[in-house]
Amino acid sequence: MADNNVSSAPIKYDHNFAQEFFSTENGRLAQKCMQCGMCAVSCATKDLMDHSPRRLFNLVRAGKKDEVLGSNTMWMCTSCCTCKVRCPRGIPLVDVMHDLKNMAIAQNYVSYPQAAFYQAFWQEVLNRGRAFEGGVMARYYLKRGWGEIKKAFEMKDLGMSMLKHGRLPMVPPRKIKGLKELQQIIEKAQALQRKEAK
Amino acid sequence: MKYSLYPGCSMEGTAVPYLKSIEVVAEALGMHLEEIPDWNCCGATIASGVVGDFTQQVVAARNLALAEPKGYDVLVGCSSCYFSLALTNRRFQTDDHFRQMANEALAAGGLRYNGTLRVRQILEVMINDIGLDKIAARVKRPLTGLKVAGYVGCQTVRAVPWEFDDPEDPVFMDKLIEALGATPVKFPMKAKCCGSSQALTATDIVLAAGNDILQCALDNGAQMLVTPCPMCQLNLDAYQGMVNQQFGKNFNLPVLFFTQLMAIAFDLPPAAWALKNMIVSPYEALAPFGINR
Ligand code: SF4
Ligand code: SF4
Repeated sequence: MADNNVSSAPIKYDHNFAQEFFSTENGRLAQKCMQCGMCAVSCATKDLMDHSPRRLFNLVRAGKKDEVLGSNTMWMCTSCCTCKVRCPRGIPLVDVMHDLKNMAIAQNYVSYPQAAFYQAFWQEVLNRGRAFEGGVMARYYLKRGWGEIKKAFEMKDLGMSMLKHGRLPMVPPRKIKGLKELQQIIEKAQALQRKEAK
Repeated sequence: MKYSLYPGCSMEGTAVPYLKSIEVVAEALGMHLEEIPDWNCCGATIASGVVGDFTQQVVAARNLALAEPKGYDVLVGCSSCYFSLALTNRRFQTDDHFRQMANEALAAGGLRYNGTLRVRQILEVMINDIGLDKIAARVKRPLTGLKVAGYVGCQTVRAVPWEFDDPEDPVFMDKLIEALGATPVKFPMKAKCCGSSQALTATDIVLAAGNDILQCALDNGAQMLVTPCPMCQLNLDAYQGMVNQQFGKNFNLPVLFFTQLMAIAFDLPPAAWALKNMIVSPYEALAPFGINR
């Protein structure tokens, strides 16, 4: 609750950050937030979040970049859409969370396991055209290192039963035929997106 | 009735029983499915966290561009794929600026999408295109007395709110269960989130959600759960053992895709039931209907 601490030191606001956030595709929609708290009471994982979505948007306005991009809030979001359905201002919070994840990764706030998972998933799509689950897992564990691999071994019963029931193919499917074209499309989309953000 | 099928990545892996049952059930109902040729991953709700919504939606749109020449509705089973494809489609149809920009990107791969298709969730298609009467008429093995919790999960009904069912208290799944002769139990957690892709990254979320959902099903007398979502299915089925360990429970509730239950009720060949793929054994619950290992 650092936000409520009484301190004589001047509070540092980073107004550029609020501007930066409100210029993202969906972040701009969060400007309409009226702080009603409906998302906070509805959220599937709010007990685990550093800040509820409502509070997070308030911190954005206050320009608290480190607290926002360094928080686990967007990473704990499961994209369950409960808040999106209920927000009286029609803010697509799930998509705003996507932008926040995107910003966090781009600015190297990547300490949460979910950031590694997201990157692993995307690498798989980029290299194969499809997300082979075994490949996503392998990339994720490599990124996270030994601690996570140990945890994986602790769950070996789960992996074994999935293998036994034919739910965990070990051989990846073939890359899609149009992989090169897909990669060209992605490259172009990224270039257009950067241009649009300017 | 013809459809373009978008299977999605999970149906090549953890959700194989979904695909196996969908294909045969659809055929039995006179639906003609054509898989979108060379489809790619839709990006789910994951890719946009890395590359942004625009790029993710362009990636998803490649599939719609590949399907557009046929003109059939695009049939989607996975809730995350549905989220991604349905929202992308909507943007093509309602946002001119987006459509132009997205088509500029697609053109780099020699493609274009005009936004003429409909993206449909398979549960919705069963109710609205096929109809409960026709489904009930096709039943050869009525599942009379089987108590089923219809677990819809979150994204299926909330990705595009009010597209086809109540996002807070969905009823389509219960109606379908009824049409198969089974009894849908009261199930307040039918649309609660299962923790989705947090299974690897924050396992506790999935275990806690699983505990709540399974307990709710059990308390209401369910003998099994059925779902239209690959993540819900996987989290509740594969992680049920860990839920038992963590919370000192004794859950033994099979979790099937709703299309598997349809394949059983239609008395289609057992390969389409895909019961061998299930981690929590469904045989005890199905024994009264003459189904044994
Ligand atoms: S529900 Fe919407 S308006 Fe209310 S606090 Fe959350 S984001 Fe803001
Ligand atoms: S979509 Fe994310 S932020 Fe919204 S209620 Fe679900 S978990 Fe919470």
